[in-house]
Amino acid sequence: MSHPIIVDGVSKQFRLQADRPNSVKEFFTRRDRDRAKTHFWALDDVSIEIPQGSMYALVGHNGSGKSTLLRCIAGIYRPDAGQVKVSGRISTLLELGAGFHPDLSGRENVYLNATILGMTRKEIDRAFDDIVSFAGVEQFIDSPVKVYSSGMYVRLGFSVAVHVQPEILIIDEVIAVGDEQFQRQCFEHLYKLRRDGVTIVVVTHGMATVQTMCDHAAWLDHGVLQEVGEAPAVALSYLRRVNQAEADRQDLEAARAVEKAKADADAGSGPADAGRPVIGRSREADKVPSRPRITTAGEHWGGGEVTITSVEFLDQSGKAVTVVGERSALRIRIGYEASGVYEQPTFGIAVHNESGLHVTGTNTRLAGRSTGTISGRGWVEYDVDRLPLLAGVYEISVAIEDQFSQHTFDRYDRGWTLRVRHDGEQAVVGLVDIGGDWTLGADHSG
Amino acid sequence: MTAPAKVWEYRTLITNLAQRDLRSRYKKSLLGWAWSLINPATTLGIYTLVFGVFLSVEAPLAGNGHSKVFALYLFCALVGWNSFAGGVNTAMQSFLAAGGLLTRTYFPPEVPVVAGSLTVLTQTAVEAGILLCFMIAIGNIGLSTLLIVPILVLLTLFSFGIGLLVALLNVRYRDVAYLVAVGLQVLFYATPIVYSESIVEKHPAAATALKFNPMTHFVGAMRHAVYLLQAPTLLNWIVMVGATAFTVVVGWTVFAHKAPQFIEEI
Repeated sequence: MSHPIIVDGVSKQFRLQADRPNSVKEFFTRRDRDRAKTHFWALDDVSIEIPQGSMYALVGHNGSGKSTLLRCIAGIYRPDAGQVKVSGRISTLLELGAGFHPDLSGRENVYLNATILGMTRKEIDRAFDDIVSFAGVEQFIDSPVKVYSSGMYVRLGFSVAVHVQPEILIIDEVIAVGDEQFQRQCFEHLYKLRRDGVTIVVVTHGMATVQTMCDHAAWLDHGVLQEVGEAPAVALSYLRRVNQAEADRQDLEAARAVEKAKADADAGSGPADAGRPVIGRSREADKVPSRPRITTAGEHWGGGEVTITSVEFLDQSGKAVTVVGERSALRIRIGYEASGVYEQPTFGIAVHNESGLHVTGTNTRLAGRSTGTISGRGWVEYDVDRLPLLAGVYEISVAIEDQFSQHTFDRYDRGWTLRVRHDGEQAVVGLVDIGGDWTLGADHSG
Repeated sequence: MTAPAKVWEYRTLITNLAQRDLRSRYKKSLLGWAWSLINPATTLGIYTLVFGVFLSVEAPLAGNGHSKVFALYLFCALVGWNSFAGGVNTAMQSFLAAGGLLTRTYFPPEVPVVAGSLTVLTQTAVEAGILLCFMIAIGNIGLSTLLIVPILVLLTLFSFGIGLLVALLNVRYRDVAYLVAVGLQVLFYATPIVYSESIVEKHPAAATALKFNPMTHFVGAMRHAVYLLQAPTLLNWIVMVGATAFTVVVGWTVFAHKAPQFIEEI
């Protein structure tokens, strides 16, 4: 497979703006400063290879160097060390309406923007109508772009960027500005481009996008490459780190709150103060009675017509547990609440192991089980007689979808952790016990 | 690929940027393009009044042998000066204005400066056209008038070279814009524009200083070709070509080398 983009040991250093000389005197006197203190590495020895026709995601928190890397690939920044090899015509969409002049009309800006991206006048003439209709701004094409809404801005910008017939398309987190419909339209178009062999590099914070749309991903943290590989696995590692950081922060806050409460109690604060948190809590509960707060680590999305209200793991005795033994019975109980009447909803679960491997997954539709018509509150259970999973930590995803699994009502991705305990019997190694048995026999023919 | 070849590849963008500047420049103004003529006309009027009338600086006899119009003698020099000052200032502005764009998409950083030079050249062409109309009106026109084209092209390139340097420096040190404003003011009076070279004959030091100012030669060449209807002197040509080659080569080399680094700080 060919690699139109090869990033080889790229490092990029920036000078801290605060460190700029502020006066003539400073300019002449501050020659011998420690470079390590006045500069920081935005990218530190990053090497990735992006295969032809793939959709490649760069993930990481804000300030991790993703955008800098994109700019190095696009040729806007010159790396301080290493090199970027790019073969093919690049089109970039790095910022909302970059290159648009507010006083000029949409039409003039399309021409200007497309020439910046390297198109000739004739090529633009030919693609002009497509660009405008894709962006859906026909009506406003002769108005100055300063009267455009931010959505129209980004649509026009995206439309130009994808119509310049790029071989490589580089997109920073801008699609998120458009509305749902336009985002879908964008992704559809990106799919089409990818089928045509266009290599696409995106920066995104939507892990669902990464997991479902991208082939490969690279995770950057403070300019250092953390992980490169298949998109779902990288996204998972990244999410795990984020969740860990979030949990740590919450623990810290909880500890602080306890301390503060203690301090308040010691100070003998009035009854009004003591009552406040309680009122806050009950008010919150009034507001969203149908949606109890499920505290889970995973990504959560869905239309909310039917919501998951609880997920419990029950052992043989029907007790809620978080740890079960190998080969024991397990029942997963999913509580739901429907805001209306829904026919044949699909309930599903999935199990991933710690390293993101999809161990198993099923739903009522695949299993051919009718779920009838639901309304109000209720529950479904998934029974396992003898759990084949071997000792380890597993992550359980739960989803409720419509009849055809096309619309997600509610979904928690890797929302719950199930620990499987070693039961002392070391008969099988690996991930699962497929439950076979050995029989020995002798061939009597001889 | 060399820098000029890269820039040539982006010629469509250059013309588009220049058009954008020209189109958006006078948007929302009632007089529109008339402003581009009102400015030089006012300058010309004031200088003619102050220097030609009150201080009675006398213009030499024009090439046609009978006219002696100080306003036109001054106008020849002003067209040259405006081209230079406009070129340097526009280079700075257009590079700074394109800075944001340069951090979001790739194109050669010279492009906005070249586009800026083109807009100035357009403005200069309009002013030169008006100058020639007046010259035709007083019947002061000859073969040498045609030399206005190479002179102004050289001058545009000369300004472009200097413009690249100051545009680059201005990105890092905004002092440069102020410095340039002061420098242009000094240079304006250090160039025989509102006076003729002959008035400093009694001050040898000043006369020498004028000779070392390339603008003296550009302005002198303009006056020779358009007002006096003579070919500019050989020294004029040597200085004009030499200075242009020097600023373009040095300016462009430094710019190509440093611009990518400076852009990151915009």
